[in-house]
Amino acid sequence: MLQKPYAEKKLNSDNGIFYKKLVTKIPDLIFQLSLSPTGDLSSPFLNKAVINYFELSRQDLRNFDLSQRIVADDFQELLSSIQSLDKNTDFWSYEFRAILPTKGLRWFKAVANVERDVYNYISLYGRISDITEEKQRDIELKISEERFQFAMEASANGVWDVDMVTDKVFYSAQSMKMLEMDEQDIVDTHLKWDERIHPDDLEEYQTQIQLHIDNKTPYYENAKRMLTNSGEYKWILSRGKIVERDEKGNPLRIIGTDIDVTKQKENEAAVLKNLQIINEQNSRLLNFAHIVSHNLSSHTGNFKMLLDLIETEDDKETVLEIFEHLKTSSSALNQTIEHLKELVDINTHMVHKKESLDLNLYLNKVLGILSEEISNNKVKIYKQIPKNCNIAFNPSYLESILLNFTTNAIKYSHPDRTPEIYYSMKKEDGKCVLEIKDNGLGIDLEKHGRKLFGMYKTFHKNKNSRGIGLFITKNQIESMGGNIEVESKTNIGTTFKIFFSNEV
Amino acid sequence: MKFNDVFVVDDDKIFHFIIKKLLLNNNINVTPKFFENGLLAIEGIKSKMDRGENPPDLILLDINMPILDGWQFLEEFKILKDKLAKEIIIYIVSSSDNQSDMNKANEYQDEVKDYYLKPMTAEDLRTIFSYPA
Repeated sequence: MLQKPYAEKKLNSDNGIFYKKLVTKIPDLIFQLSLSPTGDLSSPFLNKAVINYFELSRQDLRNFDLSQRIVADDFQELLSSIQSLDKNTDFWSYEFRAILPTKGLRWFKAVANVERDVYNYISLYGRISDITEEKQRDIELKISEERFQFAMEASANGVWDVDMVTDKVFYSAQSMKMLEMDEQDIVDTHLKWDERIHPDDLEEYQTQIQLHIDNKTPYYENAKRMLTNSGEYKWILSRGKIVERDEKGNPLRIIGTDIDVTKQKENEAAVLKNLQIINEQNSRLLNFAHIVSHNLSSHTGNFKMLLDLIETEDDKETVLEIFEHLKTSSSALNQTIEHLKELVDINTHMVHKKESLDLNLYLNKVLGILSEEISNNKVKIYKQIPKNCNIAFNPSYLESILLNFTTNAIKYSHPDRTPEIYYSMKKEDGKCVLEIKDNGLGIDLEKHGRKLFGMYKTFHKNKNSRGIGLFITKNQIESMGGNIEVESKTNIGTTFKIFFSNEV
Repeated sequence: MKFNDVFVVDDDKIFHFIIKKLLLNNNINVTPKFFENGLLAIEGIKSKMDRGENPPDLILLDINMPILDGWQFLEEFKILKDKLAKEIIIYIVSSSDNQSDMNKANEYQDEVKDYYLKPMTAEDLRTIFSYPA
């Protein structure tokens, strides 16, 4: 090992040799370039490294100039970059590509000091290094970033990145766009974002996040409604993963994506709604098939049995009696078929257009039709229906429904008291509800509830009961998209609630 | 033993007539009592009990009836059953070939002997009345 003073002395004395060695042995390419005022570039000095750098043979070396290796475009630009150097600048740097016989395309960077002489020659003293690997890394990073950026833009997915220590969140422009805010990346607090979550979805969202924080789920996934700037909610599906935890396992950073799934959610809801309609139609169809089979077969059964009897009957009077029964059965069958036809008409409701109807107008019309029965039975009528209360319904159905409920209330009034009927209109869950309440006999719903709206079901010892009215009424209401509910207590009275659909 | 006291519970008066004729034509010497709904039939059984009489031997029961239908009759009957002096044989006679009604009849195995589909034939009636010959 050299003593320090000796080394310094040696350096000083062998100055020339030292620099020569430095310049020739160093693996970097050391150069002197010279540009003439006419734009000719020459290389008065290149160290030996040039052989390796540009893959030169001895032959190449003799007439070598840089333009032989440097990509033509880059060489032209290299020249102009030197030419356009400011008078006061003494530093030059330039990146260029060269095509080498075996290594192919390589990237190089030249840095140099600039000197100018009186003849306007520019001399550059410096070195060239191979920056291909660096450049490739840059390019790969750029490509990957671009790929990510384009993918995000094309898929309209947003990206977020939460620093769980500072609670700052990066939101990408797409995330912002989803919520109809300025389309640019921002950093915001987590809290401000959470305020936009629909209150009904907050709990599930917090649960899902916590499960992932507690490491119970491999990643976080949650669909929730979020308030947009226009005041409407959008369904946003977020997925994320904690990418960094401290030594105790506490999360430090979580990255994820946002997807607007409003369309899917709407489709999902539409499919569910359709399914519900189909199920309702199916059960109605099944019910109808049941009604048809039962009500028709009870009549045809009678025909069969009566005809069997008539075949073997000798007594004339008995034969006549059987004929009377056949006639009765025949007209009963006719009536049943009429009812079934009516039912089919109601259920093919496409035919029946809804109209906007003034409820007061129709109620007064029906009460007018029934005025005789009302006064004969001393019925008290109470109406609490706001003026201009319009509902979307079929006019003849509305009349038939009001007529049916009113006649039922009179027919099944309590013998010990003055019959009272209350008509009122309310709003429940945004739907118009017509309530018709009486103080009549009432129905034991525990016993009869399930059959109340069935065909040919009667519950009172009343000669005029046919058991068709409520059945038809229910079908008419349902065909208009509404539904019906009943509350009743024996000897107290009955309340029917008719829920109207808002859709016209 | 022979069925002497028979209840027919059906709201169809034509069916009452048919049963009467079928019994007569097949030389089955029974005069059934007819009830137009389940409630009247229950009341009929109760009034027999009140008078200290034996319950009917046989009940032909329809399903679809006003006020109390066949099923509701069976529910009321279950309550009465244990207080009866003797067993009553019940057949359902209905025009319903609906599977759900058939299944429901199975839930009343302790009460219901069998399920006959209308139209009833002379053969059906002979089978019922030959039991337990």
